[in-house]
Formats: sequence, structure tokens, C-alpha cells
Amino acid sequence: MTSAALALPERTRLQAVSMSLFRYLPLVLLAIGWELTARFVFASSSALPSLSQVAAAWIELVKDGDLITHGASSLYRAGVGLLLAVLIGAALGIFMAWWRPVNIALAPLVEMFYPMPKSALIPVTVIWLGFGDGSKILLIFLGCMLPVTIGAFNGARGTDRALVWSARSMGAGRLRMLWDVVLPSAIPEMLNGIRTALALTFILLVTSELIVARQGFGYLIGYLGNNGSYDAMFAVVLTVAFLGFAADRIYQRLMQRILRWRE
Amino acid sequence: MAGIEQAENARGSATALEPEQSAFAFVFRTLCWGAVRSLPIVLLAVAWEVFARSGAVTMFQLPPLSAVLERIWHDAIGGDLFINTGLTLYRAITGFLISMVAGVALGMLMSRSAIMRWFFDPIISVGFPMPKIAFLPIVVLWLGFYDVSKISMVVFDAIFPVVTATIAGIAGIERELIWSARNMGANNRELMWQIALPAALPQIMTGLQVALPIAMIVAVVAEMVMGGYGLGGAMMTEYRFANSRGVFAGIVEIAVVGYVLVKGMSLLRRRLLIWHPEASEPTTV
Amino acid sequence: MSGQPQIVIDKVCHTYRPPRGKPVLALDDVSLSVGTREFLALLGPSGCGKSTLLYLIGGFLPIERGTISVESKPVTAPGPDRGIVFQHFALFPWKTVRANIAYGLERQGMPREQREARVQSLIEMVGLRGFEDSFPSQLSGGMKQRAAIARTLAFDPSILLMDEPFGALDAQTRHLMQSELLSIWQRTPKTVIFVTHDVQEAVYLADRVAVMSARPGRIKTIVDTKFDKNDKNIFKTKQFVDQVDAIWDLVRDEAIKAQGGRES
Repeated sequence: MTSAALALPERTRLQAVSMSLFRYLPLVLLAIGWELTARFVFASSSALPSLSQVAAAWIELVKDGDLITHGASSLYRAGVGLLLAVLIGAALGIFMAWWRPVNIALAPLVEMFYPMPKSALIPVTVIWLGFGDGSKILLIFLGCMLPVTIGAFNGARGTDRALVWSARSMGAGRLRMLWDVVLPSAIPEMLNGIRTALALTFILLVTSELIVARQGFGYLIGYLGNNGSYDAMFAVVLTVAFLGFAADRIYQRLMQRILRWRE
Repeated sequence: MAGIEQAENARGSATALEPEQSAFAFVFRTLCWGAVRSLPIVLLAVAWEVFARSGAVTMFQLPPLSAVLERIWHDAIGGDLFINTGLTLYRAITGFLISMVAGVALGMLMSRSAIMRWFFDPIISVGFPMPKIAFLPIVVLWLGFYDVSKISMVVFDAIFPVVTATIAGIAGIERELIWSARNMGANNRELMWQIALPAALPQIMTGLQVALPIAMIVAVVAEMVMGGYGLGGAMMTEYRFANSRGVFAGIVEIAVVGYVLVKGMSLLRRRLLIWHPEASEPTTV
Repeated sequence: MSGQPQIVIDKVCHTYRPPRGKPVLALDDVSLSVGTREFLALLGPSGCGKSTLLYLIGGFLPIERGTISVESKPVTAPGPDRGIVFQHFALFPWKTVRANIAYGLERQGMPREQREARVQSLIEMVGLRGFEDSFPSQLSGGMKQRAAIARTLAFDPSILLMDEPFGALDAQTRHLMQSELLSIWQRTPKTVIFVTHDVQEAVYLADRVAVMSARPGRIKTIVDTKFDKNDKNIFKTKQFVDQVDAIWDLVRDEAIKAQGGRES
């Protein structure tokens, strides 16, 4: 009885592990394919370093501290820019839904700037704020704000009338209702907007650093590429790609936690 | 909530609007509404002009709008504007079309074959959230600085939303629809082309609507990094020569092209999906 | 109460103006009085404006013409003297059952301990013990409506406005909820205005049934429907069946008219 009860979760865990192993096997196959191609097909060329070379270069970069310092400065820019975008973007979106004059004033501007490829602003942010952190933060803020605004706006505008009425009949004033009913109603769509913004953050960060910067992941990629140390360049590219992927997965987990009331 | 309340009030307190309106009144109201809607944009343009001329900023930091427009006009007369716009559009749209065909095909294959699904599913789900633009230097390293590498980069980025939307669209088809088609004697191939694809079209269109701005962004970014012709490359050239008027002209041009592309796509959606109840309402503003 | 009915609706008209299309006269010259602790059902085909009338009493929609007064004071805004229960529950989906029920008490500034005790007693009353910390999405339709009723009863309004509260429930659950509502009402008497299009429900629950006509909504007749509610076999008594049939006849024409008019 007890042994059976113990064995069951053990087996399911084993099953789960082998299931996910099977699921991600194609990635392993790709990695092996890469290693073999690099070793036997493009052995004479440095344009495709093998996975093992890249791994060695990655360890080297971490030991030097290069990856850490550049990474830290990139993540700082990304974090501050995204945080500003979320705070200001969400407030703007909710006010647009809450107060019609704000909507009339801002909706055309939002509609006009939303489809614009924000990377086009890279040179302007540099003209305004120079080569350092400021221009990257401004760029990420400008690029990430609108998806959050639109998410918050759509969510807040979709607030159920019956919820508003219920809260009012229970004695909630206007501000109270903004906080207790409109904001929570806006959260699901707003969180989706923030997910888009998160993806945009990485894109804007890397491009702006590739084009004009003296620090950061993008700068490191460009620098290593120009020096011909392609194995190290691959290592940084893969690190950035992995960070983008991991950030999205972690964010999704967080979103599920916040929205657990939704089932 | 105020928006809702105000809507109610507007409905409630407007004193007996005459139900029958003359055509003149209708045109007048439409014009007025259009004026109100474009007012913020006009105000922004005026504010730009006034602020730039006020002396609070230098001409380098913010050239007046009029100077920027003049510059665009010159580019247009000289023909540069059309060459650059054409090149950027060519790269973005070629990449987009390749992503569309390849993405829908891959999505359909993955929906039909378990092996395809097994192989590509982890690649798609890991690759989609990655900042693929980071691979740009690698693509340049392999494919050079020319159109091939730019278009490849566009495809590499824009194909993901098309594939996932196609799979989601086909997976979301109601069982009853498939069953009734089978009942009426459709075979597998007919089922795919005549039932599954049209039924998944709204979702696929949504995926394409996501993919098109991505294609545009990646084309511009690739040009900015690699330099040369095209809107992004031309803008970076102006930047290198510290010509801020040219930089701002580039931004305006890129913004206009992006806007036209996105609007055109949503119009196309409305055309193609007349039968679909949500055809007229895409989720973004 | 000084002899005057608690709720007085006097010559109220309401025009519904859709965002596009012609305005529609939803309520035309409606007058009605409801006494203290009376259970009144508003009965009519869908789209006859009965919910609109309820929303006007609640103070959610502006009153354009005519007046509505509660305890001799004209209605201008929603207030905690009039609690409302909606067909689709309108529970805050991000709050647990407990937090939903506590919301009105929080707004009234009731001290924490007192509040918790009251919430617990209401949870017992509507039979939701064990589900205090569930979110609405985890509950069945009947349980959601119990929670919504408890939330409204919590802040003890003297008037209960119910907008087809059992309309979204399956037949068995609806039946159960009806008798539970009656027993709650008998324990804590309140004035109830109950909107429904179910004739049997109206006759079973209410003291009086106000039958409304299809668009524009008018009060067609008011029928007295006092029965011994504790009688288990009330549905089988001739008196009850006859009463239901008689009201059915009144509603049928209106329902057919409403069907022809293609309601929204």
C-alpha cells in the first residue's frame, strides 16, 4: 500500500522527465548536427565555429568578466527602460479609457506612432542623450510604451458594466472604482501588452547597442565580430537569445500566477 | 467607470435628437469628427515647429518640421526617396511573402504530420521569444551585406508568428465542421484546402498582421546595421555625417511607410474576411 | 414608514439610444409603487424594458422624464440602500468569495473583526462553507449566484433589486435557488423587485406581479399572487396553476409581439 503510493509519483516524475527529453530531442539533434557540420564540413572556415569551441569561448568570456560587465549594463538599460514604459504606459492607457478628453487627445497619436518601427529612433536618441545609458533607456521606453498603453486601454475599456455598478451600489467612489474595478479589469490585457514590450526590449537593446554603443551585449557582439573572434561572438549571440527566451518563460510563469483567478 | 458612464449620459441626456438627419448634417458631422480626430496630430506638428524655433534647442538637436519636410521634398524631387523607399519595401515585402508561404506551409505540415510536429514544435516554441535580431551579425558573416542577408533576416524573424497562427487556426477548427465535411464525402486533400484553410484564415490573417510590422522593422534595422541604400541605411548615412535634418526626414519617412503598410494590411483583412463576424475589428487601435 | 409606499415610480419614460441607429422608446409612462418588505416581480418578454426600469431605480441610468423616489427622496445615484443582483453574477473575478462578500462592508468602514464574523455568517447562510477562498471561476453557476446574493445581503440594503438572477442557471438549480431565496427573504425581510420572464417563477416568488408590455414598455396589469409559500405542493394546487395560466395569457401576446419585433 505505502510502496505503491510512493512509487506512483516516482514513476510519473520519471515519465515527465523522459517526456520532456523526447520533446526537446530535436534541439539536441540540431546541436549535434551543428557540431558535426562545423567539424567536418566547414572545418577550414572560421565562419562556423563548432558548439564546443563556442562553449569554451563562453567560459573564457565569463572568466574575463567581459560578459558580466557588458551584460550588467545591458540588463540595467533594459530594466529601467521597460519599467518606465510599463508604469507610464499603463497609466496613460487607463486614463484614456477613463476620461474621454484624454482619449480624444491621445488616440490619434497612439494610432499614428504604434506601427512605426521604433528602431528608427536610434540615431535621434543618440543625438539627444549621447552614447551612454540614457539614449538606450529612452529608446526602450519609447519603443515599449505603446503596446502597454494599448493593452491597458483595451482592458480598461472592456470593464464589465455590471461590475462598475455593483461597486457603486456598494458605496465605492470614483477613485476607489478606478483602483478596485477598472485597474484589475485591465490587468489581463495589460499583461499581454507587457509581454510584447518585453520582446521589444531585447530587440531595441541589441540593435541600439549594435549600432551605437561603447558597452553592452550588442556592442560586444559587434566588437568580437570585427576582431574575427567568431566563436566568442557566437557565444554572446546565443547568450542574448537565451536570455530573451528565458525572460519570456519566466514572465509567462509570473503572468499565470497573477492571473490565477482566471482559471 | 467614467467612459462607460459618459456614454450612458450621452445617450440619456442628449435632448431628443431628431432620428431623421439630412445628408448635409451627416457630412457635416463626419467632417467635424475628422477634424477633431486629426487635431492632436496638427497640434503636435505645430508644437514641434514652435519648439524647434524657440531657441530652447539647437537646430542639430531638433530641426523645425518645415525644414524636415523641405528635405523630404528635395529627396522626392531628386528621386532618392523613391529608390530608398522602394528598396526597403522590396526587402520587407519579399521577406514577408516568403514567410507567409513558407510559414503557412510549415504550419499545415505540422498540423498533419506527427513527425513534423515533433521536430519543429520545440524549435518554434524556443525560437519565437528569442531576440532573433541578435543573429544579424552571424547572418552578415555568412551571407554578406547584400539583399540576400537582409531578406533572410526578415524571413527568420517574420516566419514564427505565421507558423504559430496557422497551427492555432487549424487546431481551433470545430470538430463538427470537419465531421460534417467528411460526412458529405470530402477526402483528406479537399478537407485541407476547402475546409481547414478557409476556417483557419482569420487566425492566419492575425498572424500575418503580426508578421508584417516585424518584417518592416527587421528590414529597417538590417539596413541600419549594414548601411547602404534603403530608408534605414540612408538615415544612418545622414547620422554619420551629423546631418540631423536628414535623420529626422528618415524617421518621418519610415513612420509613414510603416503606417501605410499596417493600415493596408487591416484593410485587406476586412476585404478577405467579410464572412467572419470579427473581420472589421482587429484588436489593436 | 409614514404610510407612503417605500418606492414610488411616477410617469417614468426612458429612451434607449444605440450608438448607431434610431433611438428606441424603452419605457413609456410607467407608474408603480412598491411597499416596504413587499416582493414584487416585474414580468415581461425580453426587451420590454424591465431591466431598464430596475437600473433606473438603482440609479445607474439617468432618469430623463418622470421621477422615482425611495423613502420619499428622489433617486439620483446608486446607494447602499439598494443592493443589486445581476443575471451574470457580476462577482469581482479577481477576488475570492470571502473578499467579494466583504467588499461592501469594507466600503462602509466596518471594523475588521466584525466584518469577518458577518462574512462568515453570510457564507453559512447561503451554504458556501468550504468555498470561502475559491475564486468565482472555480464555482458553478448556482454557487456564483449564491455568492453574489450573499455579497449584496452583506451590506444590508433595505431594497433588493434582482435582474433575472436565476436566468443563467439550469432548471434544477433555478428551482433550488428560488426556494432558498424565499427562505432567506422570510428570515431577513426586505423589499424585493425581481425581474424575470419566467411566469411560474414570478407567481411562486412574488406577492404581486407587474406584467409589462413589449416595446414600448408599459405596465399592463398588476396581479396579486399571495400564496402560502411554505406549502411544498404549491405547484400542484389548482389555484396556483390557474394563476400561472391566467398570467401566461397576458404575457403571450406580448411575447409574440416582441418576437416579431426582432429583439436585440
